[in-house]
Amino acid sequence: MSHAPAQESGTVAPRTGDLVLEVTALTKRFEGLVANHDINFTIPRRSIVSVIGPNGAGKTTLFNQITGFIEPTSGTIVFDGIDVSGLPPHKIVELGMARTYQNIRLFHNMTTLANVLVGHHVRMSAQWWQILFNTPSVQREEEHTDAFAYELLDLVGLSRRYADDLAKNLPYGDQRRLEIARALASRPKLLLLDEPTAGMNPAETRQMTDLIARLRRELGLTVVLIEHDMKVVMGISERITVLDYGELLAEGTPEEIRTNPSVIEAYLGKQATSA
Amino acid sequence: MDATMQSTYRRAINAGLIAGVAMIYLASVGLVGAFAERPIIASIGGEGPGLITLGRVMLATPAFLIGLIVAGRIRGTGTGTGASAAAVAALSGAVAGLLFGVFLLLIAAVDVRGVFLPLTPALVETLAFGQEPIVGAIINVLLAGAVAALAALIRLLDGRDRAAVLAAIGIVLLVAMLEPIIRPILGRVELDAVRDFMFTGGGLTLPAAALLAGLVIAYTWSTRHPSSPVRRQLDAVSDERRRQLQIGAAIIGVLIVLAVPFVATGFVSLVLFNVGLYLMLALGLNIVVGYAGLLDLGYVAFFAVGAYAMGVLTSSASSMGGPMSALFGAEWGFWLALPVVLIIAAIVGLLIGAPVLRLRGDYLAIVTLGFGEIARVLVGSEALRPALGGPNGVVGVPNLTIPGFGELTSPGEYYYPVVAFAAFAAYMAWRLSNSRTGRAWMAMREDETVAQATGVNTTNYKLLAFALGGTLGGLAGALFAVQLRTVFPGSFLLIVSITVLAIIILGGMGTIRGVIAGALILVGLPEALREFGEYRFLVYGAALVAMMVLRPEGLFPSKTRRAELHEESDEDKQLGESFQDPDRAAPTATGANA
Amino acid sequence: MLRRPVRITLVGVLMWGLAIAVIVGVVAGSIATLSSGGISGTTWTRLIVAGLSQGAIYALIALGYTLVYGVLLMINFAHGEVFMFGAFAGLFVAQALLGVDAPFMEQPLIGLLIVFAAAMLTSMTVAIVLERVAYRPLRRAPRLVPLITAIGASLFLQYTAFGLFGPRTRRYPSVEFLEGRTTLFGLEFANVQLVTIGAAVVLMTLLYYVVEHTRTGRSMRAVSEDKDVAALMGINVDRTIVTTFAIGGLLAGAAGVLYAFLFLNVDFGMGILPGIKAFTAAVLGGIGNLAGAAIGGVVIGVMERVTPSLVLYGFGVPSPGQLSDVVAFSVLVLVLIFRPTGLFGRKENV
Repeated sequence: MSHAPAQESGTVAPRTGDLVLEVTALTKRFEGLVANHDINFTIPRRSIVSVIGPNGAGKTTLFNQITGFIEPTSGTIVFDGIDVSGLPPHKIVELGMARTYQNIRLFHNMTTLANVLVGHHVRMSAQWWQILFNTPSVQREEEHTDAFAYELLDLVGLSRRYADDLAKNLPYGDQRRLEIARALASRPKLLLLDEPTAGMNPAETRQMTDLIARLRRELGLTVVLIEHDMKVVMGISERITVLDYGELLAEGTPEEIRTNPSVIEAYLGKQATSA
Repeated sequence: MDATMQSTYRRAINAGLIAGVAMIYLASVGLVGAFAERPIIASIGGEGPGLITLGRVMLATPAFLIGLIVAGRIRGTGTGTGASAAAVAALSGAVAGLLFGVFLLLIAAVDVRGVFLPLTPALVETLAFGQEPIVGAIINVLLAGAVAALAALIRLLDGRDRAAVLAAIGIVLLVAMLEPIIRPILGRVELDAVRDFMFTGGGLTLPAAALLAGLVIAYTWSTRHPSSPVRRQLDAVSDERRRQLQIGAAIIGVLIVLAVPFVATGFVSLVLFNVGLYLMLALGLNIVVGYAGLLDLGYVAFFAVGAYAMGVLTSSASSMGGPMSALFGAEWGFWLALPVVLIIAAIVGLLIGAPVLRLRGDYLAIVTLGFGEIARVLVGSEALRPALGGPNGVVGVPNLTIPGFGELTSPGEYYYPVVAFAAFAAYMAWRLSNSRTGRAWMAMREDETVAQATGVNTTNYKLLAFALGGTLGGLAGALFAVQLRTVFPGSFLLIVSITVLAIIILGGMGTIRGVIAGALILVGLPEALREFGEYRFLVYGAALVAMMVLRPEGLFPSKTRRAELHEESDEDKQLGESFQDPDRAAPTATGANA
Repeated sequence: MLRRPVRITLVGVLMWGLAIAVIVGVVAGSIATLSSGGISGTTWTRLIVAGLSQGAIYALIALGYTLVYGVLLMINFAHGEVFMFGAFAGLFVAQALLGVDAPFMEQPLIGLLIVFAAAMLTSMTVAIVLERVAYRPLRRAPRLVPLITAIGASLFLQYTAFGLFGPRTRRYPSVEFLEGRTTLFGLEFANVQLVTIGAAVVLMTLLYYVVEHTRTGRSMRAVSEDKDVAALMGINVDRTIVTTFAIGGLLAGAAGVLYAFLFLNVDFGMGILPGIKAFTAAVLGGIGNLAGAAIGGVVIGVMERVTPSLVLYGFGVPSPGQLSDVVAFSVLVLVLIFRPTGLFGRKENV
C-alpha cells in the first residue's frame, strides 16, 4: 500500500501522556457483516491489557485495524497522540507499534537472525547506494544491528545456536519466541500479541507469561494480548476488554470482569459450545 | 512369491516401461540422432563415430536412472540383497530395452518419416548398431538390462563411494563433451603430449577416460572419507591457514578467468561472452524474482531497452535521412551513452513496476509477460521505424573503445568488458543480498503482508527491485549492442526471458554461485555443443518442470499451505475477513484503490 | 461518520494518468479515423467478420484456461501447446484423408469429422499427460510453482513438436467447399469462417450442457467451489480434475483444426500467441466464468482486428495491422491492472 500520510490524519492531537492508545467509535463492516461495531476503549501506558471474547467476536479484526492491516469503516484510533486510523502498516510500525500473529507468520526461508534483523528495518537508515559502497556508516549499523538482534534472542530465551537456522525449522515454541523477538526489534512502545500461548504446554505458557511481564518491567512496554487461556488472562492483565458479536461487552479489572454477570452469561455460555 | 516381492516386480516392470517410453521419446524427438556423431569415448581403431557417442549415452540414461531408483527402493524397504537388487534392476532395464526394441522393429518396417522427421533409416541403422533390426533389438534389450544392473550396483555402494563413482562418470562425460574446447587449449599451452594422450579428435581415449575416472575417485575419496590421511590433514589445517588457502584459490580462479583469451580460441571467448551476458541478465532478474519474489516474465524488455538505447545514441547511420537522422545523429561514445542508457532502463523499470504493484504473483507474471511482448512487437514495427529502424533494426553501432587500450575490433575481445560488467553485477547482488535492502526484499518475498507490518515500505522496495533489476538488464543490452554492432528486433523474444528464468531456477534461486553455475550449464554447454541447436530449449523446459516437481519447497515460500492452515483456525473467518490470505485480498485491494 | 478522505499517491496518479491516456487515445484515434473516411464500409465488415471467426477460436481455447483455473486456480500456460498438437494431428490426418487423390476427397464432410476427432483426441491425450506428469505433484504448492512448471511444460511441448515434426511450416490441404463465400445477414463470410463460428457454437453448447446438466459437470462445479468439501461429498477430485483437463484438451484440439483451416499453416510455435490471447479472453470474461470466456474470446478477436484500423489509422501510424498483437497484449495488461476480476463479475478465490 502506498498511502502517504494525508494532511487530515497526520494532525497531531494533544498528547495524552498516560494513554498510549485511544480507540473511539471503531466500526468495521465486511460486505454486510459487522465485525466490529462502535468500539471505544483506552489503554494506559505501561499496562498489560487482555482482549477476550468467544471465537468470531472480532478480536483479530480489532488488532488488524489498530495495526493498519485493514482500514476501519469508521471511527478513530489514536496511538500515542497521533491519529493512525488508515495509515499504512509500515508507518504505524515506525511510530512504535509491533505485533505478532495468531498463526505464526515468520519469514520461513530466512534465518532466525535475519528475521530479527528485518524487524529492526524501520530503525535502520542504510540506503541501497550506501550499501553498494559499503560505507563505514553501513558497516557500523550492521554490526550494531547484529549485536542488538543477538540480545533480543537472549531476551526471549532463544538459543544463539539457532541464529543461522531457517525459521521454518525451529520448534513451535521457539517460533513464537522468534516472532516476539522480531516485533521487539522495531523498538516498539506498544506490543500487540495475538494468542501468544496458543498451543503451548503449561511450562511454556508460564515462561511466556514471565516474558510478557519482563517486557513491561524492563523495557517499559505496553502490552495488549488476545488470549483464550483464562489463567494467563487473569494472572497477568491489569485490565480486560471483552468483545462479543463484534461489540464491546465489558471493560474493567480482572475482578470486575470475573464478576460481571453479562460476561459470565455471554462469554462462558458461548464458550461451552465453541471450545 | 509373497506380496512384497510381487509388488517389487510389478513396480520394476512399470519403471522399465516408463524408461522405455523415455528412450522412444529421445529417439523420436531427434536427440539421439543429433548426437549420434558426437564421440565421448574414441573407438579403438579410430574408425566410425566412436566407441561411445553422446547419442548412446542419452539413450542409456533412462535405464541408468531407473536402475538407481529401483535399487534405491529395494534398499529402502530392506527386502533384498545386492545381487537380487541388481537382478530386479536388470529386469527393469530389459523391459525398457524390450519396449525400445519393439519400437525399433516397428520403425524399421514402416516408414513414418512423413510425420516424424527424425525416424530415418540412418537412425534405425545407428540404433541397431549396424546390425539387422532384430539383432539390434536384442542388443538393446541386453544393453539396457546391463546398464540398469550397473546402476543398481552403484546405488548399493556406501554413500561416499557412490558419490565418488557418480562424480567420476559425470566428469568423464563433461571432459569428453568439452573436447572441442579443451583440446585446442592444450595445444595452445604446448601440452601436445597430454593432448594426444587424452583426445584423438574423435573422443576421449579409453586410457585417458580410465585415468580421469581414477583421479576423480581418488580425489573424492581422499577429501571426503574421514579415515583417509588427506582428510585428516585437511581437518588439521587451522582456520587462518584455511582462509589463506581460500584466498589463494580465489586468486588462481581469477587468473584463470583472465587468462582465457590468451589460451582459448576466439570461439571459446565468444561462448563465454554469451555466458557473461546471460549471467548479467540472470543476476538482474534474480534481484527481481529471487530476492523480491516478483515473477517477471518480460525481463527481455530491459535487455531490449538497453540495446536500443545504446544503439540509437551511438549509431553512426545518420545517412538514412528523414526523421531518423535527428535521433541517430547523436553518435555518442559508449561511455558517454552508458549512464544515460542505464537511467533509461531504470525508469522503464519504474514504469513497468508502478502499475503492477498491487497485483498478485501469477497475475504480475502475466502482465510483465504482456509488457515484454508489447516491447517485442513495437521494436520491430513499421510504426517505430523512424526511431528504431523497424524490422532492419539499428545498424552502424561503433565498436567499444577502452580508454588507454584502444578499440575492440574482434567479437572475442569483448570477453573482458563482459567479465568486468558481470563481476560488477555479481558484486552488487552480493552486497545487497546481505543488507537492510536485501532483507527487506526477502521478507517481502516470504510474506508481503507481514513484511509491511514489520515496517518494510513494500511499494518502494518493489519499485527499487524493478529499477535495479532493469538497470542490470539494460547494462547487458548495451554491451550486446556494441558487441554485435547492430540491434536487431529478432533478438528480443520471450524465449530470452524464459532462458534467464531457467538459469536462476536451476541455480537454486537467490544464490549468486548458483546463478553462475546455471549460466555456464544452460548457456555455455549448449553453445559449446553446437548439435544442441534449438534442442537446448527442450532441455530448459524439462529442467524447469523437473526442478519444480522435484523440489518446489525452498524455491518459493509455501504461501498456499500457510493460507490453508490459517483458514482452519482463523476465528474471524465467519466474518468474511479475507486479509489473512494475501492471495485473496489482492484483487479487492486493487479494486478499492484503483 | 464522515467518509475518510481519499489518499493521493504518486502511483495512484500514474494509474489514473494511464487510464485517462488510454481512453483519450482510443476516442481521439477513432474520431480521427472515422472523420477521415479513409477506410470503407466493406473493409469494416471484412475486419469484423475476420475478428468474429478468430474470436470463436480464442473462445474455444479460453474455455480450457478458464475450466482449469476454475478447479485448480492455476494458469495452464501450456494450453497453447495442447492446441498446437491438435493442429498437427489434424494436419497428418487431413493430408491422408483430404489431400489430392485421398480417400475422402469426395466426401469432405466425413473426412473433416475424422480430422476433428483425431485432433481432439490427441489434444485431450496431451492435456491428460500434462496434468498427470507435471501438475498433479504440485497440487498443494504455492501458486507460482505451477505457473513456472506450466511455462517449462509449454517450452518442452513446443520443442518436442519441433523435434518430432521439424522446424518448417506445414500446410493444410485445401478443401474445396471451405473456400467458397456465403452472404448471411448482409455480411459476406468465407465458408471456412462460417464453419469455424458454427463449430465453436456447437462445441460451446455441448460444453454448457455437460457442465450444467450432467454428473460430471456437477462434480466439476463442486471441485471448483471447494476441493476438500467435494472430496468429503464423495466426489473423486483427481478424476474430476483429469476430466476438466480432458474437456479443455478436446476444445483446444478442435480449435487447432479450425485455426489451421483458417490460416492453413501449422508450425511448432503456433500455440504461443493464440494461447496468450485466449488467456486474455479468459481474464477479460472473468477467469473461472465460462460464458465470460466465450464472450471474452469474441471480444478479443474483433478488437485485435478492428482496433488497429479504428484507432491507430487515425493517428497516421504506418501499417497499423502489424500492431494487432500489441492491441491484444495491451488489453491483457490493462484488464489485469485495472480490473483483474474481468468484465463479468467475479468468482470467489480469484
